[in-house]
Amino acid sequence: MSNKAINYEWFMLNSLIIKHLTFSISTAPLAVFRMLFGGVMFASVVRFILKGWVYELYVQPKFYFTYYGFQWVKPLGEAGMYILFGVVALSAFLMMIGLFYRVAAALFFLGFTYIELIDKSNYLNHYYFITVTSFLLMLLPAHRYFSLDVWRKPALQLDYIPRWMLLAVQAQLAFVYIFAGIAKLNYDGLFRAMPLRIWLPPHTHQPIIGPFMDEPWVAYLFSWFGAMYDLFIVFFLAKKQTRLMAYGFVVVFHLMTAWLFPIGMFPYIMILLTLVFFPADFHEKMIRFIRRITGGKQLVPLQVRSLKPSFSQNILLGLLVLHFAVQLVVPFRYLLYPGRLFWTEQGYRFSWRVMLMEKAGTVFFYVKDPASGRQGEVVNADFLTPNQEKMMATQPDMILQFAHFLAGHYRQQGIASPVITAESYVTLNGSGSRLFLDGTVDLAKQPESFAPKTWILPFIEHP
Amino acid sequence: MQIKLGISAVLLLAVAFLPSCEEKSKEPGKADFDRKALLTNIGANIILPAYQAFKASTDELNNAVGQFMANPSEAGLSNAQNKFKDAYKAYQAISLFEFGPAEQELIRASFNTFPASVSKINNNISAGTYDLNTASNLDAKGFPALDYLLFGTGSNAQAILTQYTTDANAAKRKKYLTDLSQEIKTKTDKVNNAWSASGGNYLNTFITAEGTDVGSSLGQLVNQLNFDYEIIKNPKVGIPLGIKTLGTAIPENVEAYYSGMSAELTRLQIGNIENVYLGRDKQGANGVGLDDYLIKLDAKRGEGSLHDAITSQFSVTKTKLSALADPLAQMIRTNPAPVNEAYNEVHKGVVLLKTDMPSALGVLITYQDNDGD
Repeated sequence: MSNKAINYEWFMLNSLIIKHLTFSISTAPLAVFRMLFGGVMFASVVRFILKGWVYELYVQPKFYFTYYGFQWVKPLGEAGMYILFGVVALSAFLMMIGLFYRVAAALFFLGFTYIELIDKSNYLNHYYFITVTSFLLMLLPAHRYFSLDVWRKPALQLDYIPRWMLLAVQAQLAFVYIFAGIAKLNYDGLFRAMPLRIWLPPHTHQPIIGPFMDEPWVAYLFSWFGAMYDLFIVFFLAKKQTRLMAYGFVVVFHLMTAWLFPIGMFPYIMILLTLVFFPADFHEKMIRFIRRITGGKQLVPLQVRSLKPSFSQNILLGLLVLHFAVQLVVPFRYLLYPGRLFWTEQGYRFSWRVMLMEKAGTVFFYVKDPASGRQGEVVNADFLTPNQEKMMATQPDMILQFAHFLAGHYRQQGIASPVITAESYVTLNGSGSRLFLDGTVDLAKQPESFAPKTWILPFIEHP
Repeated sequence: MQIKLGISAVLLLAVAFLPSCEEKSKEPGKADFDRKALLTNIGANIILPAYQAFKASTDELNNAVGQFMANPSEAGLSNAQNKFKDAYKAYQAISLFEFGPAEQELIRASFNTFPASVSKINNNISAGTYDLNTASNLDAKGFPALDYLLFGTGSNAQAILTQYTTDANAAKRKKYLTDLSQEIKTKTDKVNNAWSASGGNYLNTFITAEGTDVGSSLGQLVNQLNFDYEIIKNPKVGIPLGIKTLGTAIPENVEAYYSGMSAELTRLQIGNIENVYLGRDKQGANGVGLDDYLIKLDAKRGEGSLHDAITSQFSVTKTKLSALADPLAQMIRTNPAPVNEAYNEVHKGVVLLKTDMPSALGVLITYQDNDGD
């Protein structure tokens, strides 16, 4: 084949892709996604407040594990935190009804992200997903169809959007599932059925399927099914022929996880948001249904409006490409670190690694005054909440942060250069606890950075 | 259709894989453990009798205090002191069970926040009015405060007696002592009643909450067992030894400082923790316990079993604790080496009980409710 022919085919493919991406589609799926997201977020934030977690997680602690580079993010005090949660809840509600949408979505994204950045003890992939999704929603014109903004300013109405705008939201969901699936393809998961081998047997008292929960084959079945589900569900949702069946799996799968594990709102969030894979007429029907029950009037637009290509759209498109490029790379950053990922957890977060390991630990800190030779132990509970202590015990970056905090604390008490060491034991997927860190290293002198932490001991299969 | 094919392919693959890797790795089979039997044994044969015994001892303490107050005499004081010692010892057998009724009554904080604040106690006495329910009064009541009032207000029985007879604040002190003793009795009655079959029958609630989540009975039991164990590690032994103060001992911070029975109480408490672990009742009958669960799960630690590691650690720790002599404060001042050795063994136990055991059992170790990932 000549170069020309290749070039021509390349050109044809390119223009086909561009045509596909820019094809005008109904705004309804994006608008419904906005409503569902806003609604379920409103419920989640209200639930969080009612459970007393604002106080427990953001007021009560004396010390917070900030993210590297975000040390300036601080809790705002009791009144401040409740106001912030109130603002986030209100903006979720405004997103749902589509009122002052851009401001509300931006406030939600910033407020929620700020809360999440306060303390990495509270990191959950679910929360990261909410941050990322609200970032996308903030950029997309999800309020220009069936919203109070359109009711206020009918000129805003937008009946059609280029397909890539909806694809962005769908792609984000696809990233979550597929990366979660890839992460599940590990030896412990597939060939030892971990951690389900530990997590399922406690459910033997449940009705009907309970008695099977301690059968090894059930743990293997769940492990393999979970991995396959995550890897392929999006493809089945995307295809018309398999969509309904796949959605049935979505509902059953997430309800099962909600029933078996303490994972809060996440299953319900996913059950609702995966509806975005359904075709436009489904969403139109949903909108008509909501109109009927709320007594809303059908606005008959004078003319059908669609989005004309523009410079700002190109910027948005560029931003999205950048966003997904980052999303694609970040989960693989762990390859830059030596050692076993589940053990060191270097490059573990922000990668959709969910339900992958049963890990627990205990860490004792020691402080020594080199000037006088005197030494003592730290009672972690004097500074940390039980939840913080538990999360820290298995995560080296948090252990280091706490060690630095202790160094500062003892400096204030008059010890010029306190030596802080940690004796730490961790058990991973039923391995039995073994030494986690080099107990001779002065953590006060170890810098916080993204560089590999050389004081993490290697995971030894049979110590 | 496609999805069906996919699923059945996965199923087939999984099933095909099973027998082969099962044989190779020699992993344990079906755990098949009856958690209800465990909870029934611990609830009916350990917790319930412990509360009954504790209630009886607090009744006697309250009566003895009443008699002593009605007619302050050296014999009355000595009787009250003895009944106090009995009740404090009986308390060690219920301190672990801080969930359900006990959690509601804040038994641990109300009964055993030590060291007691002598200045708060004396301020309350001289003020004559006080609210024992406030958080700030936690270290001015309960056993540590009684310990001070009955043993620490004078250097000998004669001197203590004068505090309740001729002292300017004698009447107020009598009232305070009576109020503290009464509070212990009232709270204990409530908890005991809540557990008993004729009362709230919490035993039944305990037995039927079978899961391993934070709110389940096993979850609470394992969490509180650890909390209780760390009371031995830190407030009872470590802090008086000076672990938090760079080695500067604080002997007067021991439990039961004035009556001088700290070591004995610590031995009783670790005995109770071991009993809960083994499912062993007061008479020594060994029923279903956490140990049986770990054995069934074939939990490992190093090359051996986790159960063996825990049992031998209990045994070493108890041996070291038996070398402690009362008054412990005195021993910390003059001969701290055996106390240090005991502390080191208690310390080792934390890892096994707090990390290995809950992880093997699938119990979340947290005293807070929270969403997971």
